[in-house]
Amino acid sequence: MTNLQEVPTEELLSFQDYPTVHNNRNNTTIPISEAQINVENLDGNFRNSPGSQRPTSSPNVEDTDPVSSKSFWTLEYYQKFFDVDTSDVVDRIIASITPKWDNTLKHHLRTKPDLYGPFWISVTLIFTIAISGNIANYLQNANARYHWKYDFHLVSYAATTIFLYVSFIPFILWGLLKWTTQINDVEGLEEEIVPGVLELICVYGYSLFIYIPVSILWSIQINILQWVLVLFGTFISGSVLLLTLLPALRLSRHKFLLSLGIVTCHLLLAAGFMLYFFHVPGSSSTVQPTFKPVVASNQTTH
Amino acid sequence: MDSKLELFDDVDGYVDGEMNVPKTQNNDQIGQPDFNTLNEPIRDTIFRDLKAVGIKFAHVLYPKEKRALLKEWDLWGPLVLCTFMAMILQGSSSADNSHDGGPEFAQVFVIVWIGSMVVTLNSKLLGGNISIFQSICVLGYCLLPTTIALIICRIILLAVQTNLLFFIRFTVSMAGFLWATYASMVFLGDSQKPNRKLLAVYPIGLFYFIISWLVISHTNT
Repeated sequence: MTNLQEVPTEELLSFQDYPTVHNNRNNTTIPISEAQINVENLDGNFRNSPGSQRPTSSPNVEDTDPVSSKSFWTLEYYQKFFDVDTSDVVDRIIASITPKWDNTLKHHLRTKPDLYGPFWISVTLIFTIAISGNIANYLQNANARYHWKYDFHLVSYAATTIFLYVSFIPFILWGLLKWTTQINDVEGLEEEIVPGVLELICVYGYSLFIYIPVSILWSIQINILQWVLVLFGTFISGSVLLLTLLPALRLSRHKFLLSLGIVTCHLLLAAGFMLYFFHVPGSSSTVQPTFKPVVASNQTTH
Repeated sequence: MDSKLELFDDVDGYVDGEMNVPKTQNNDQIGQPDFNTLNEPIRDTIFRDLKAVGIKFAHVLYPKEKRALLKEWDLWGPLVLCTFMAMILQGSSSADNSHDGGPEFAQVFVIVWIGSMVVTLNSKLLGGNISIFQSICVLGYCLLPTTIALIICRIILLAVQTNLLFFIRFTVSMAGFLWATYASMVFLGDSQKPNRKLLAVYPIGLFYFIISWLVISHTNT
């Protein structure tokens, strides 16, 4: 009896007081998660062709079936939005800055839209803009004997604008596409081509990637270079946006208005960033009103 | 009556077996509580906890043993570091200088805690195999290099500023950033699948980069 007690009591007690030890030793947690993965594997193999090695490469609808049964409030429900590998993200980033006619990005994003890329690209862009905006401000005042102070509050402005842009514009665009699409004879065709909100958010999030290097270059205080960069960034990512959404836009009644609206929003975003964060400080009071219509004009231009 | 007595005898024997207090075995190992804290002075208890925190700090400064910080997480170290950094980094609150550029005390707090929670949530969503508080504990303790960089920068700021001194501050905070990222990678790197490691490490690096940016940008006001 005493021999039995001596060893396990300590273990038991340490279990109770420090729940992490329980996790650490992987006694129970790992087998459960493995079992879940195995179940999904089984499902994927059952439904897909036997040639596909991993279920992550399978089409979206079939793959998320076992996951979507999870409750909305659990962490597992959201894991399907982050089910990407490093190579997937790199592929999508590269695809988002190389406009092509063959719509490869559309197929990338159509199969498994993720939220990892859009979220972290937005966060990176926020802090890149805030940091290089501060550097630009420093460079503008470098010659004058001016006591330069860094402005932390740029982070809040940049965060508000970017998150509004990435979340609201796809919703508005999705609604407009839904309502203006001409009704075809083939119902199934339309369902396939009109993209969902998640796909639009994914496309928009990745399309912001080009602004990260551009915003670093914006801190160089040459006026012409700044405007060239605005046009360059808008051209690259705007054309990718248009080419990706082209099949859906073709079906719309107001395709020219819609594509004009998409490009205008993108251009206004870039120009607003450049004018507000990187331009000569003397005009900051006059720039403030012109920056506000960036959001307001998004609705009007459609 | 007889049967009752028999039952009582059985129970009595059982209780007698459970009353043994387990003897303390590993008293020599500091930082591993032995759970027989009923008859020790409060001073010992407090000092043992302080020693556990100090040992974790030492592990961050010399990140070699991978499992050291993951065992027995606590949030004391992160709280101390975060409060210290927020106190130094906050902008001046004098009334005449309303638009001071620095972050508020609460903003630093929010960046550190919400930031580490978002990074943790990200690694959980990627399918990482680590508990939420373990990850927050590691991320918080790994703020130590950036805090040291902040102290050095603060001392440098006492002198008259030149370009050389700015360069030194830049180097110090970049070293703090790299050190913190490396240490947290050592502790957290194994929790992800190898093909997703970069996806989990990138937000960690971004987190420490932002904090190092705050450290670098902090000037006398």
